[in-house]
Amino acid sequence: MKRIWLPLTLILLLSLLLVACTSTGNESAPAEEQSSAATKETAPAEAKDVVTWYQYDQNNEDPASDERVGNEYLRNTIPQFNEAFKGKWSWVNQPKAFDKMTTELVAAVQAGGDVPDIYELSNTQDLVDFYRHGTAQDLSEWAKAQSWWGDLDPAGITACTGPDGGLYCIPMAERPQIVYVWKDRYPNGFPKNPDEFMKKAEELKGEGLYAMTFFGSTDKGGEGVTRAIWTTISSFGGSFDDGKGNMVLNTPENIAAIQFLREIVAKEYVPEIAFAGGFREEDAFKDASAGAFPTGLFGYRYLNPLTAPSGKKYDKGNAEDMLDAIAAGDIYVSPYLSTEGNKPGCGIDIAGFVIPTGAKNVEGAHDYINWMMEPEQNAQWVAAAGGGFPVLKATRNHEIFQAPLYTQASDALAVSECRPWFGSLQRPNEAQEQIMNAIYKLIKEDPTANIEEVLTKTQEEYNANN
Amino acid sequence: MQKTALPRSRKRRFQNTLPFWLILPTLIVLLVVQVYPALYTVWLSFHEREPKGWVYVGWGNFQRLFHQSLFHESIGHTIVFLVGYTVITMTAGFFIALLLNRKLRLSGLYITLLFIPWILADIIAGMVFRLLVIPDYGLLAGFLQNPAIFPPKGLSVLTAVPPHPWFGDFPFPPAPAMILLILASSWRALPFITLLLLAAMQTVPTEIIESSRIDGANGRQIIRHILIPLMLPTMVVALFSLTLTGVNSVGMIFSLTGGGPGTSTEVLSYLLYTIGWNQLRFGRAAALALMMAIVNWLLITGTLRLTRVEERSR
Repeated sequence: MKRIWLPLTLILLLSLLLVACTSTGNESAPAEEQSSAATKETAPAEAKDVVTWYQYDQNNEDPASDERVGNEYLRNTIPQFNEAFKGKWSWVNQPKAFDKMTTELVAAVQAGGDVPDIYELSNTQDLVDFYRHGTAQDLSEWAKAQSWWGDLDPAGITACTGPDGGLYCIPMAERPQIVYVWKDRYPNGFPKNPDEFMKKAEELKGEGLYAMTFFGSTDKGGEGVTRAIWTTISSFGGSFDDGKGNMVLNTPENIAAIQFLREIVAKEYVPEIAFAGGFREEDAFKDASAGAFPTGLFGYRYLNPLTAPSGKKYDKGNAEDMLDAIAAGDIYVSPYLSTEGNKPGCGIDIAGFVIPTGAKNVEGAHDYINWMMEPEQNAQWVAAAGGGFPVLKATRNHEIFQAPLYTQASDALAVSECRPWFGSLQRPNEAQEQIMNAIYKLIKEDPTANIEEVLTKTQEEYNANN
Repeated sequence: MQKTALPRSRKRRFQNTLPFWLILPTLIVLLVVQVYPALYTVWLSFHEREPKGWVYVGWGNFQRLFHQSLFHESIGHTIVFLVGYTVITMTAGFFIALLLNRKLRLSGLYITLLFIPWILADIIAGMVFRLLVIPDYGLLAGFLQNPAIFPPKGLSVLTAVPPHPWFGDFPFPPAPAMILLILASSWRALPFITLLLLAAMQTVPTEIIESSRIDGANGRQIIRHILIPLMLPTMVVALFSLTLTGVNSVGMIFSLTGGGPGTSTEVLSYLLYTIGWNQLRFGRAAALALMMAIVNWLLITGTLRLTRVEERSR
């Protein structure tokens, strides 16, 4: 009897070990199966998968979801793609958290894990990290041979070009920063210069209102720099770099911009919630207690529900609220203010596609991109998934972009000068945190601190690691 | 004779090595999930990623950390957080355990209620506290931002500027957001610590306490000279648990303050998160992780030395 126990124990332990090892591999399967269930239904079994990573989830049908537009887009478009490539490709989307998908991709490529065939790029500065980590494939040769290549806006191509001249993404949409304005708060238009702004802000303060709200906190790794902070800096003619990869903050233009921000904070023209983080600065615009909100054009999707100064409610609780408010004339889109000799500044991002290193179905990914470059598909993707304006010139006249939101934004951009905030900086994620910490300190935490001193210290700390 | 001797020696050898074979699966799992990542972290801390691949940078990652002003700030914030968190949790946990040990009516219900924070995830607990104090819109904003209660302008916990430090650059007194973070973290950890201490308290023989009472000891003397010495091993375990979670946890900070306002709640664990996750500087993050592991080790051995548990247990 004893003889039996030993081998039995060993077999039991071995099987437990095997179960433990295999179960980890199976755990991820249901999630993937679930996420791709909708796509597989319409595709024949022999079709090969084209795996994508989007921040949207085709299985999320919640009408109040923040990402409703993108979710719905995928739900409608995946079957169309599968139909177009019946028997050849089957689009399988794996939804990812917007703020974690970059790191996840970098880690997956480095670990030799499963990577998608197409990655939805929503942030130009991520490309700098992709280049450093060898995450993205150089698409120059293939892209230049495609029919749509000549029709791409050169600015989009530049944004996708790495330091070695390689093309690391296919640009699809240009996502600018603009200003959303409540008509009743600024009936004669958003102020054109700082003096006008101060005058109007004082007036609004007298009515118990705020002139504007903006992403003023250091939250999300200094994300605020990419929004209103950069819009303000560039509107004053400032920048964060010298064009050679060095951070240069201590300039008269930057100092003037920071003094302006410092003043509007000190005079309480900006609500306290602007500094609370977690995107809560939006609340002050949603209830119209703040008259204006400089942010991304793409941001219209998250600004809901809205209560107009008249008390009228736009409360569908989804992206339609902002579109309805603009259509009704309660909100309009405006360029930012600027100083003499400068155009209103704004940041600009590129959304597009990356084919990661190690993608299993590169041919499928190429077909996917080509399909997305067809005018109708391109317009739908730019409006729903990418946000902003098409990089493909042929799509710019599509009816989607004749809606008030786009025409007003287009007019605003025509008089603005938009450029990526990080210029030639090669460590944008690090830079944005350092810059935001410095600016927050100067405008909120310690409004008496010496601006030049803080800016010099910050740039020296960054440049020491160049 | 030889024929029978061989199987016996083989059997004996097998029996001698049996414990090894039995723990082998565990060893393999430990090697895969603990030893390998630890060694990889060490390797990573001496490398940095460049477009051409991984490059050996020697102590470069450590040097860059030391030259980063936020790293120095984070050390100060970590000390303030750790001291506040452990002192408040241990003290409150001890006194709540004392109350529950008195066998009050409905003490079972109290223990159940007390346990609620423990079942909440850090992230959720942080969000709940955040919703209470969001400026202008939070549940307690009306009270906190009332200038009559907190003159001259009311208190906006999440955005209030930290007070001027008393000792050079050391962040003391802490910012209101840091105080909230300490209170929220303590609230979250309190149930476990209370139950741990209550369990230890209930193992103290009542005869000893009774006889000390007869000998004229008052409540404070009983706590100081009887309860605490007898509960010391459990208290050290509780202190370990609090120290490790205090140094390493990031969830509550992530959802409650995001390291802000400014950098006033940026502790080492959050800095590690931002370097690794936001900036994708895996080498530098590994270097910081390594330093934090050493800090953890120092804190544990320090606590052991301080409480002299090592000597007592020998």
